Amino acid sequence: MTTSSEQTAKPKSMLARAWDSDVGYSFRHSPVAIISSTVALLLILAAVFAPLLAVMNPFDPASLNLLNGFTPPLSQAEFSPDWFLLGTDDQGRDVYSTILYGMRISLFVGFAAVALGMVIGITLGLISGYFGGWADAIIMRIADVQLTFPSILVAMLIFGVAKGVTPVEYRDQLAIWVLILAIGLSDWVQFARVVRGATLVEKNKEYVQAARLMGRGALPILFRHILPNVMSPVLVIATISLALAIIAEATLSFLGVGAPATQPSLGTLIRIGQGFLFSGEWWILVFPAVTLLALALSVNLLGDWLRDALNPKLR
Amino acid sequence: MFKLFASTALTLCLAGAASAETFKWAGTTDPQTMDPHAVNSAPVLGFLNNVYEGLVRRGKDMAVEPALATSWEPIGVGEGWRFNLRKGVKFHDGADFTAEDVLFSYQRASSEASDTRSWFAPVADVKVVDDYTVDILTSAPNPIFPDSIANWMMMDKGWAEANSTALPDKENGNYATLNANGTGAFMLKDRQPGLTTTLAPFDGWWDEAEHNITEAVFTPIDNPATAVAALLSGDVDMINPVPIQDAARVDERDGTKVIRGIEARVIMLGFGQDRDELKYTAMAGQPNPFKDARVREAVAKAINVDAILKTIMRGSAEPASQLVSPAMRGFSDALAARPAYDVAGAKALLAEAGYGDGFSFGLKCPNNRYLNDEAVCQAVTGMLAQVGIKAELDAMPVQNYWPELRADNFDMYLLGWSPGTFDHEHPVRFLVTTPNPEKKLGSWNFGGFSNARVDELLPMVQSEIDDGKRQAMMDEITSIYQSEHAYVPMYVQPLVWGAQDNIELTQRPDNFFILRWVTVN
Amino acid sequence: MLSYIIRRVLQSVLVLLIVGLVAFAMFTFMGDPIDNMLGQERTQEDVDRLRARLGLDQPFVVQYVKFILSALQGNFGVSYEQGRPVAQILAERAPATLELALVSGVFALGAGIVLGVFTAIRRNGFMAQMVMTISLVGVSLPTFLIGILLIYLFSVELDWLPSFGRGEVVDLGGWTTGFLTTSGLRALILPAITLGLYQMTLIMRLVRSQMLEVLRQDYVRFARARGLPERAVLFRHALKNTMVPVITVAGLQLGSIIAFAIITETVFQWPGVGLLFINAIQFVDIPVMAAYLMLISVMFVGINLLVDLLYVAIDPRLRT
Repeated sequence: MTTSSEQTAKPKSMLARAWDSDVGYSFRHSPVAIISSTVALLLILAAVFAPLLAVMNPFDPASLNLLNGFTPPLSQAEFSPDWFLLGTDDQGRDVYSTILYGMRISLFVGFAAVALGMVIGITLGLISGYFGGWADAIIMRIADVQLTFPSILVAMLIFGVAKGVTPVEYRDQLAIWVLILAIGLSDWVQFARVVRGATLVEKNKEYVQAARLMGRGALPILFRHILPNVMSPVLVIATISLALAIIAEATLSFLGVGAPATQPSLGTLIRIGQGFLFSGEWWILVFPAVTLLALALSVNLLGDWLRDALNPKLR
Repeated sequence: MFKLFASTALTLCLAGAASAETFKWAGTTDPQTMDPHAVNSAPVLGFLNNVYEGLVRRGKDMAVEPALATSWEPIGVGEGWRFNLRKGVKFHDGADFTAEDVLFSYQRASSEASDTRSWFAPVADVKVVDDYTVDILTSAPNPIFPDSIANWMMMDKGWAEANSTALPDKENGNYATLNANGTGAFMLKDRQPGLTTTLAPFDGWWDEAEHNITEAVFTPIDNPATAVAALLSGDVDMINPVPIQDAARVDERDGTKVIRGIEARVIMLGFGQDRDELKYTAMAGQPNPFKDARVREAVAKAINVDAILKTIMRGSAEPASQLVSPAMRGFSDALAARPAYDVAGAKALLAEAGYGDGFSFGLKCPNNRYLNDEAVCQAVTGMLAQVGIKAELDAMPVQNYWPELRADNFDMYLLGWSPGTFDHEHPVRFLVTTPNPEKKLGSWNFGGFSNARVDELLPMVQSEIDDGKRQAMMDEITSIYQSEHAYVPMYVQPLVWGAQDNIELTQRPDNFFILRWVTVN
Repeated sequence: MLSYIIRRVLQSVLVLLIVGLVAFAMFTFMGDPIDNMLGQERTQEDVDRLRARLGLDQPFVVQYVKFILSALQGNFGVSYEQGRPVAQILAERAPATLELALVSGVFALGAGIVLGVFTAIRRNGFMAQMVMTISLVGVSLPTFLIGILLIYLFSVELDWLPSFGRGEVVDLGGWTTGFLTTSGLRALILPAITLGLYQMTLIMRLVRSQMLEVLRQDYVRFARARGLPERAVLFRHALKNTMVPVITVAGLQLGSIIAFAIITETVFQWPGVGLLFINAIQFVDIPVMAAYLMLISVMFVGINLLVDLLYVAIDPRLRT
């Protein structure tokens, strides 16, 4: 990458430069990349502006009418004049609005978890790779421990501990943060491993040796010199991790440690909806599932494209 | 996959010789043990009812009928009960059933190591009169004792002692954990804990068999969707339960059907009413509104039970007015109406109690204990929001739920109660009396409801022999807990079983699946 | 070299001990087994008595030390739920999980390599692009949903394959196998696909990128220039050279297949250790959870150790 190490450039010119770069060229010539980034962007915007786009606030229990429950798509509820584009679920929630709000939670959990995993992973990877020795041994063994625990267990552990330490009045917000912690914590290992590997390579290169000879401290060397040069694999992992985190959140919800049913994420909606697959209320499952698929697939495709685009050997 | 059988009693006697007709069924939970005295839980007792038998048993309508005892009569005035045992009954290993086995089963089932010992709290002594007569003496008059021992199962003394399993051992297990030797219609053929359990009919059974099964295989399937798929694809013959939302589909599909009934379990809301402060939400530490009976009444009026039954329960449950369903003994017919759904009335009551502006609180709920429990709690949250009080729902798996309730971590909670004795006295004893560990009273009364008159009446109910007087006292207790709104009973949980069309079976309200009433056509 | 191995093994043992400690710390938060073990008519006295008998009244560190001491003697305790030795239960359940993991591993490797080669040699072809995109669908939906959809389609609607369980199994002296009966083999299909889908996508992508790199190498160009048939170039030269990293990754993934069989086993009621573990969580069956976690840890740490030692054996520069 040529753009990211230039830290003085202004954002606007950075964008222009990115457009002109090799990666930008590859982007302009890849229909997959253009379509998937458009889909992802639209979905993210829809989530951000959910309160404006939704017809009701599904998180407000006072706005629900149980008797509207199980209204099929494009039809009127039995006991009220309301119309529902994508139908309603078992609580009488408008599926369309619930998806918008649910996507907010899923994306928030996804982005926050990846950010958390990335920060921890990069920091530990840099330390591990640059200093080696005992620091390296300890960090890599912790990584082993981390890999051992299925994320469901990590989630349950964190949930239990969090329950013990949070004051009772904040408990209702707990599930979201537990999910972020659990997914973020099971995610950092791959960042750490990649960064460690790249650091091992970079630290012996001449520019790092030179910086060291000039008497620069370890911290500036790590963050000013090495980090920018290991960012491209990190970016690829981050993209794919975002998709994985959104899926992981759904899986955890299936196992009973997901977002609460009163404030459902996409994953919780799918967990609830799968109970109605056999009974004929397909819309409760299908619409959230399709949304999740569109989101995860477009992010995955972007990651795929990015991996190829950033790999100079494949150009 | 099923051959047609003429459904006469004759076929099953011959069936052993012909190609085996295997009946496969699935339930949510595997019975933990094959030991009838080790664990007091519905999956274990329900399953073992097919293998072991008690002195009395419950018929298709839940009425107590003779089993290993042919008759019983009171001794003196409330001193106890004399049981006359059936002659010629054999255990599966061929041993004779005698009074010694009854005494042994009493000792075993009431031992420290047994979970069922609370059943024998009223018993002072058991005396063997002769080989086929047993006296069970009670410390106080106990009119319902024969009704309370249908699940007390008889084990052969010789077999237990020969296999060094004279006492149950739940923690480490012993021979009886994996093997069984009862007098029942079915013998345990193969037991693979958590996987499959296979039963075969017992040729030497004392009663006339109504079933035509030659082999029965039970598999636990805990994911409800998988269980429904297994039934729809014909991989099993019967499942319990069918998720309520899938009942219509199972019913409509060619080849499968749904058997519905009303379970004995009443689903209700409880309140933390013995403490001064709320525990949850931003209002934690503020005065507890649920101490005021008017607030509890407002909750009762705010809940639209009919809407819950119509959508979430899909019309397959009945509303409840008391802590037991009308089918139970001691139900008060005069007090069968539940508070009407009345939003304005609920708001008026709240205003009267000084909460016209509403308040917020924490609602605890299990999410894998009762049918659609979490969805019901969500609906309750919505309905309470309509009258201006904001419930913050915290739903959790049952293994976390009971410890939370015991630690008093709730403002309001959901509870289901199934009376083990099919008597109104049972929930009153556990849920309504003032908690008193020494007397073993109110042990599930988490909210701490307390009323001196109820505490006074309960022992009188327990020892009253006259049905009319007993019912009058039950009525008084009912009117007290109803007018105090100690709980908000919502509905009686439905039973929804699914089976292939060629299966005939009987559904008992205690949700026990009795194999001897199954016919494969 | 020897000192490196010793140090590395010691580190691994330490890791295992820490895993155990963390596990026991978390069991205290996972609920209370007592409620599952006693019925609704239990008294507080019963609860206290049982709690003391199981040692649950002691701090988790004490429980942990006790567990480790008896585990060292080969005793993993007795399951709270089943009242039988945990080691025996795990031995009964292990074949189901191992057979499932093996079949889905073979599926992932086989399909992954074939599709990986295909998408590499037709890099910009329409079909290859389609395969790349469709394979992503498999990793863009949660596993449990894929499993349920497969059951819905192939068991309920089409009635081709069984919806749950292992079918008939044959007992070969303590090892139950589903490989020897038709129903056993049929029962393997859906769970193996569900479990292997993610790994298949991973391996396919790996093979593809490795192939793309190898195909640019000089010796492949030479081979082509020498006029060798394309098939020989691809399979004798290119593919062979992609196999080392693929096998390494596949080996590492075997561990995660077993660990993450939990969800597939739950959906398909597959009677393996993963399902056992989920049941144990629901029952708060501490001895079973502890033994399962230790087993998985030993496996993961063992595989990691093996890989590290192999790398050291191959590349002397890593011996720091």
